[in-house]
Amino acid sequence: MAENSDFEPNIVAFLCNWCSYAGADLAGTSRIQYPSNVRVIRVMCSGRVNPLFVMNALQQGADGVLISGCHPGDCHYMQGNYYARRRFNLMRNFLEYLGVEPQRVRMSWVSASEGAKWKEVIEEVVNGVKEVGPMDQFKRRQLNW
Amino acid sequence: MVDVNKLREKAKEVVSRDDVRLLIGYRPGTYGFRARPAFVLGPDEVDELIFTPACVNNLASYITLEEKLPVPRGEEPDLRKVAVMVKGCDSRALVQQMEEKAYDRDRILVLGIPCKGVVDMAKVEARFPNVLERGEIALEGDKFVLSFDGTREEVAREELVADKCLRCRYPTPLVYDELLDEAVERFADDDYSDVSELEKRSAADKWAYWEEKFSRCIRCYSCRNVCPMCYCEDCVLDRLQPQWMRRSVDISENTAYHISRAYHLAGRCIQCGECQRVCPVDIPLMELNRKFYKDVEELYDYEPGTSVENPPLLSTFKVDDREDFIL
Amino acid sequence: MAVKKLSKEKVGEALGELSKFRLIAPAKSDEVVVFKQISDPGEAFLDYGNSTVPPKKFAFPQTETLFRFMVGSPELKEKNVEEEGTTVIFGLRPCDARAMSIVDKLFSWDFDDPYYLKRRELTTLVGMACVEPPSVNCFCTSLGGSPFGTEGLDMLLTDMGDYYLVQPLTDKGKKLEETLSAHLEDAPADDEKKAEGMAKESEGKIRRSIDTEGIPEKLPTLWDNELWKRVSAACLGCGICTFLCPTCHCFDIQDEVDEGGEGRRCRMWDSCMFEEYTLHASGHNPRPTRRERTRNRINHKYSYYPSRFEVIACVGCGRCINLCPVNIDILDILDQVVDA
Repeated sequence: MAENSDFEPNIVAFLCNWCSYAGADLAGTSRIQYPSNVRVIRVMCSGRVNPLFVMNALQQGADGVLISGCHPGDCHYMQGNYYARRRFNLMRNFLEYLGVEPQRVRMSWVSASEGAKWKEVIEEVVNGVKEVGPMDQFKRRQLNW
Repeated sequence: MVDVNKLREKAKEVVSRDDVRLLIGYRPGTYGFRARPAFVLGPDEVDELIFTPACVNNLASYITLEEKLPVPRGEEPDLRKVAVMVKGCDSRALVQQMEEKAYDRDRILVLGIPCKGVVDMAKVEARFPNVLERGEIALEGDKFVLSFDGTREEVAREELVADKCLRCRYPTPLVYDELLDEAVERFADDDYSDVSELEKRSAADKWAYWEEKFSRCIRCYSCRNVCPMCYCEDCVLDRLQPQWMRRSVDISENTAYHISRAYHLAGRCIQCGECQRVCPVDIPLMELNRKFYKDVEELYDYEPGTSVENPPLLSTFKVDDREDFIL
Repeated sequence: MAVKKLSKEKVGEALGELSKFRLIAPAKSDEVVVFKQISDPGEAFLDYGNSTVPPKKFAFPQTETLFRFMVGSPELKEKNVEEEGTTVIFGLRPCDARAMSIVDKLFSWDFDDPYYLKRRELTTLVGMACVEPPSVNCFCTSLGGSPFGTEGLDMLLTDMGDYYLVQPLTDKGKKLEETLSAHLEDAPADDEKKAEGMAKESEGKIRRSIDTEGIPEKLPTLWDNELWKRVSAACLGCGICTFLCPTCHCFDIQDEVDEGGEGRRCRMWDSCMFEEYTLHASGHNPRPTRRERTRNRINHKYSYYPSRFEVIACVGCGRCINLCPVNIDILDILDQVVDA
């Protein structure tokens, strides 16, 4: 896919309530500038993220998906992020196997105090997706007749 | 080869037991080389039972497939056992079902059949088309012997054997109450060459490959229904609120369907290959399942359907699971 | 006017000529034969047995938008089938064409289905006679069809070796012959005779059969017969037999709404073998097990349909037998019905 400098990707980010959402919030309150391509969906835990969510976001027009949770050991529910990690790893490999570029589905650990890391993560994700261009593999096409 | 008389004798003994409700086995099909499932309710029905390399079906599916209707008031539920004949691969479905606590071990009675390989019926029918009268297939040494219309043909095993048998790790059932033949030593292994070959392609190539396959899909759901591991009472595909996969048939929904189907089998698929066998439009579904199978083995050292004591893969974790992909 | 022939070397040209219409022809997707819209004549694959999925989907699409809407707005935009344009289905088998004429009766029964009927009106069916029965499980002759059958077709092509014999059957067929006239030549005079002989020969090669006499009347008397439990025990409840059936025509209607409220009402194939097919909103299901569903499938084809339309809704293409994963064989079931 050709690199397109005008291309502004849509990124859907599933953030856990206790760490990553607070981290993103901190980035905001600290007036840290980060790309505005990200649309945040707050979930209680990264373990809540069903792989169907990722698939559905890509179908509905997301060019990339990010799942972010607490660092291992810090999960508010003790273990949620460990389960998420396993699930996500398989999902990521599988989507790559189908021909969805690995830059499109990412996972990160961002704690409530890591506003600066949040900015880095988003920059990395957005640049990665910009590199591979718009998601057009199995996006729902314009409602056709 | 299983001695058919011994098999019928054993079946007779089993269905005569007071605590057995039903025996699920194989009988000859309605035409050509086909075999089909047999549901034996009494000792007088065992005479049709067979086991040959044409017995491709995984009968473990029927244990969870049977509808559970409400028991009429005043009646007791029938808790007698279901007896089932399984090959090595099929037995792993039972193990995995029990690992997931689908039912208790004492609900089933397992007649294990050590197996040296079944045929791929598509290959047989391509090679011998237009066989209508009942034909028979036997495995003798490294040859399949096919008898039909008064002729007898020998074909090298590898020309007609199902692909899954060429990488079979468990030819002898892993769970059984009785073994109907002598155990078969492992004769093959899996190197995942088909998956690795696809993995090496570029993203665009991979998608082109799958797009062609998925766009053929007619969503008959035979791959789901035949699967011994697809036994959820309420399947996400049938749900309308929320409707994760739409019923309309297009490349987006078809892909979503295939992702969901395969992902639901991550760490659960036991490689019986039934989904790919039944697909009317030849989608290589096992290449999807096997990607997960390979990853699960490589990343988590886990092989589904091998031990009832194993906890299901995705409901456990290790603190030091790999995380080099995490930002 | 002399009978025409289309030489095999000119098939490409002829298909090129037809590409000005929406041209549907058998083509290969990997090793699977499917009917699809082709733009390049080279895609057509005419040397085939029969397609896995019947061409009914070009009259009755698996998913069809009926109209589009915006949530909250009373305005609807209805589908205009005419925009699809004139369609030519090239090279379909006589059984599949006959199936379409059977399904026509349903869609023009108590209510004229505008989508289906318009599409049928715009479609010309060019059949390809079965010089050899495509499958061991063909039984079209038991149901009033024939490997050279013309019912429902507008034109029949017969493979004579180096060329196809071209026989227009209807006005649409004659019009199509005119369209193709530049690519046609006069056929040898005795070819029609020869084709009749080939038809006899091909009919003789059909090996499976059922005597349908009395079955439509007998089926309702077997409602509670134990045979239904027996024949459905192995059924997986998948949609292969119905989706691949050229006469099955059940559909469901669902609304699909995108983010932003733009939606469409679609009609899509449904199968009586699915559990949710008869599931009520209350949770009650009048066909709770595979026994009732299998009984319904056979009854619908061999009893309800003939009692209403005087024709059995089965053309004997053999797809449901060939492709059933557990070898449930409709002829085996009917034999049991006869014996019951």
